[in-house]
Amino acid sequence: MINVKNLFFSRGDNHIFSDFTFDLCPAELVLLTGANGAGKSTLVQLIGGILKPNSGQIQIDNQDISKLSAKQQSLLRSVAPQRRSFFLAFTVNDVINLVPKGQRVEYLDFILDTLDLKELLARKITELSIGQQERVSLALALHQQAPYYLLDEPFSAQDSRATENILLVIEFLKINKKGVLVISHNQDALEKNCDRQITLA
Amino acid sequence: MKQSTKKVLFYVTGLALILGLFYASLSIGIVHLHQSIFSLIGKSTIDANAVWGIRFPRALGAAVIGAGLGIAGVIAQGIFRNPLAEPTLIGLSSGATLGTICLIASGASVYGTRSNIMAAVLASALTALLVQWLAPSNGFGFLLTGIAVSAILTAVAGLLIAISAKPGIQSITFWNFGSLTLLNNSTVSMVSPYMEVGIITSFFVSRRMDIYSLGDHSSHYLGVNPRRLRLIATIGMAFLVGASVSAVGSIAFLGLLVPHIARLLIGPEHRRMLSFSALLGSIVLLMADLLARTLFVPHEIPLGLLTSLLGAPTLIVLLRVRKASWVQND
Repeated sequence: MINVKNLFFSRGDNHIFSDFTFDLCPAELVLLTGANGAGKSTLVQLIGGILKPNSGQIQIDNQDISKLSAKQQSLLRSVAPQRRSFFLAFTVNDVINLVPKGQRVEYLDFILDTLDLKELLARKITELSIGQQERVSLALALHQQAPYYLLDEPFSAQDSRATENILLVIEFLKINKKGVLVISHNQDALEKNCDRQITLA
Repeated sequence: MKQSTKKVLFYVTGLALILGLFYASLSIGIVHLHQSIFSLIGKSTIDANAVWGIRFPRALGAAVIGAGLGIAGVIAQGIFRNPLAEPTLIGLSSGATLGTICLIASGASVYGTRSNIMAAVLASALTALLVQWLAPSNGFGFLLTGIAVSAILTAVAGLLIAISAKPGIQSITFWNFGSLTLLNNSTVSMVSPYMEVGIITSFFVSRRMDIYSLGDHSSHYLGVNPRRLRLIATIGMAFLVGASVSAVGSIAFLGLLVPHIARLLIGPEHRRMLSFSALLGSIVLLMADLLARTLFVPHEIPLGLLTSLLGAPTLIVLLRVRKASWVQND
């Protein structure tokens, strides 16, 4: 389980989290919504270990992430950030296989198929559209084996067909007992499928 | 032709070129040889001394230092995720130059000694850390700080050269444009271990450099600590650049051009980039040195001029023929 307990975090005078508490269980799908600047991505970066809370505790499966190395954290959760810098002309296949060996899921084929990435594998990432790059970025995160997945705006550049496909993959993660936190503005897509919805004020 | 066949072909051509250039470097020079270099093995005639005492260490030094500088260039561009980055820009060369010159000017050591090389490597690493400490954390701040610190150190080094009366201090031309003139068997054997450490370190981080290219956040999410990677890679570069500067001065452009040529030919993956850039760096430096000492006999041309003259046109042609693999990093 991911436990965020009594979290305080501020940027300058802006108190983004004051005594915030949040849980994510295995096989649970939580939708995180809220206005721009409410702290959705900040929460992902806090749980992901990029940002340090001012106070409070963040644990994943009973381990305090502030005491873990980047490597150890990467075994506990996988994150699809809102943006990645794709500035080297790797092929899509190269990018997806940046996940270290021994940390990869065995159902990559299903993910690539569902996200319509099979035909793009030999293409250069730098030549793809934003929507395609976003799906590659998602596939990279899903290739990483972990009990929990944090997906920051996975639908933002997707059409309705691709959105449906991503929903299928998220459903598949749930069936595989993964805990999934999804940030999205596209509430219609997830509202009926998610177990819980949290709105940050 | 298949991609993989093409790549093998590039490597084979590269290796053949190195062997050819090495042979030429041993055979051609002011002393005209009367027999093939192979018949001079184990001899101690004038010809044999010219080949094994002077030309051989020089060619070997060119190959090793060229490889090291090519590799340092790959690491610099990777660490800064910037196609304009090179070790010189972040103060590694100027730090090494100043470190070496300080030691020579103070009389503590002379050119080409163990302590001198060590001081250069140390000064190089300290300069890189100083730049890291002084720089604001946003992207271009780092490079700009590096350029500013470099300018200061280069100026101080120039000043020391101008006022020092020590005979072994060499000229500004030597330090700023580079020359292999002073390489002998003992300097090469002292510099090589440092180059090896730097090269091994670079290969050691190559896989993580690929992940790191996705940005600091992605890098952390995939289990690679970006700050630690930068530190290890920087120290690796300091070994490569520091040791080579202490022996042959700073050689312009090589570290900037070679990685671009390599990337255009064999793609962006760091492990392949490193091995191919090592090959290319050796080729460019062997060729440049061969030309530097044979083109206008008895004058020797500063090496940096030739690396620029050889490397820059190659890059321009390649940029036009093949699609550039860098996109704008908005």
